[in-house]
Amino acid sequence: MINIASKINYEKILGAVLLMTAFSVFADQETIKRGAYLTYAAGCITCHTEQSDDAMSLTGGRAMKTPFGMFYTPNITPDNETGIGAWSDDDFIRALQHGVSPTGTHYFPSFPYASYTGIARQDLLAIKAYLFSLAPVNKEVGKHDLAWFIPSGLAAWGWKALNFKPGRFQPDSTKGESWNRGAYLVRHLGHCGECHTARNVIGALRREAELGGSNFGGETVPNITPHPVDGIGRWSENDIEYFLEIGMSPDGDFTGSSMADVIDDNTSHLTRKDRLAIAAYLKSIPEFQSSSQ
Amino acid sequence: MKRLIFFAIAALSVTTILSNIASADTTREDALDYRISVMTVLRGHIGAASKIVRGLVADDGYLAAHAEGIAAAATELSRIFPEGSDVGESESLPLIWEEPEAFADAISKSKEAATAFVTATQSGDRAAIGKAFRNLGGSCRGCHDQYRVKN
Repeated sequence: MINIASKINYEKILGAVLLMTAFSVFADQETIKRGAYLTYAAGCITCHTEQSDDAMSLTGGRAMKTPFGMFYTPNITPDNETGIGAWSDDDFIRALQHGVSPTGTHYFPSFPYASYTGIARQDLLAIKAYLFSLAPVNKEVGKHDLAWFIPSGLAAWGWKALNFKPGRFQPDSTKGESWNRGAYLVRHLGHCGECHTARNVIGALRREAELGGSNFGGETVPNITPHPVDGIGRWSENDIEYFLEIGMSPDGDFTGSSMADVIDDNTSHLTRKDRLAIAAYLKSIPEFQSSSQ
Repeated sequence: MKRLIFFAIAALSVTTILSNIASADTTREDALDYRISVMTVLRGHIGAASKIVRGLVADDGYLAAHAEGIAAAATELSRIFPEGSDVGESESLPLIWEEPEAFADAISKSKEAATAFVTATQSGDRAAIGKAFRNLGGSCRGCHDQYRVKN
């Protein structure tokens, strides 16, 4: 009698364990899928992949030319030695929301943590789950080549003390769901302002000139505020959505600037709904007159 | 025979790379202005076609006409970049003349994409038209990314 009862219990337990395992595998797969989407939306691939046709995705090494020196993006595949394979969840969160590496050093703002700080923890952990589902690639990248007037990594600490405020995105309850999604995508995940907003002499974004255009890495980055002449005020929300999908401006020209990479590795992978949310947000921000810079 | 075909193709590609609009009377500025005009024609047809492809403007048979306009202008791509025409307002990067084979490849991709777009518009299949138009755009973007100044 006892034997039979315990047998049944074992079967029940085994069944429950199998079900839970199946569920957690399913949940993991869902998280990885969501993380893959967010990895596109956060533009990780664009900067963490070298600019050559046979470059390995996310293995870093892309050179970023700034007035403060040449920065080389790191390998973010889960390789223990050269990538982020040894990082814990909290390491990852601290890097993206606070700009601090697992060893406690401060990142230069070429890594856009000033934008990423607004990303929700669960979204960041989904991105991490996706990155950790990829094959680790052992690849060392070059060290940053800082300008002579940047004394050391200590400068990053000083910059942060002056310019960086950590904090998650707070939805605006007076605005709709689409606007809030667009604001989250533009300001935080997509970090559009990192290129489209002009910087002051110490490289901090000028908030009063949000998305009003700039010069970045030798490129003239356009004003994307709704200003009718200097910005994209004449573009409809549909035009913006279409541009983000295929790279064509309403006059029939196809972009070939860095934006072509952003479209290839980020916005063309988003849902139409998300691209329309970006458009709705862009149409709502203050017009910026470029000559007022 | 294989060798013969190989040489025939090689000879043909060399002619394609070298053929250009310049005559004895053509100045560098003429060549540049001509290129800008052809590119403007392309942009105009593409901009108009996109409105129809997206369903924002009625077709009335004009999509096929714009597609043919694009394909016709695209055949000129291989002749409107004569060496030395990167003067004045030119947005062409020197890379065009530094790697002529790669540039010729990029151009033939655009020509093929333009022909495929014509075929798609004739089929009337909206999904196929959308796909062909995206491919065409991708080929424009690819070239602009590599060979046009960034601004």
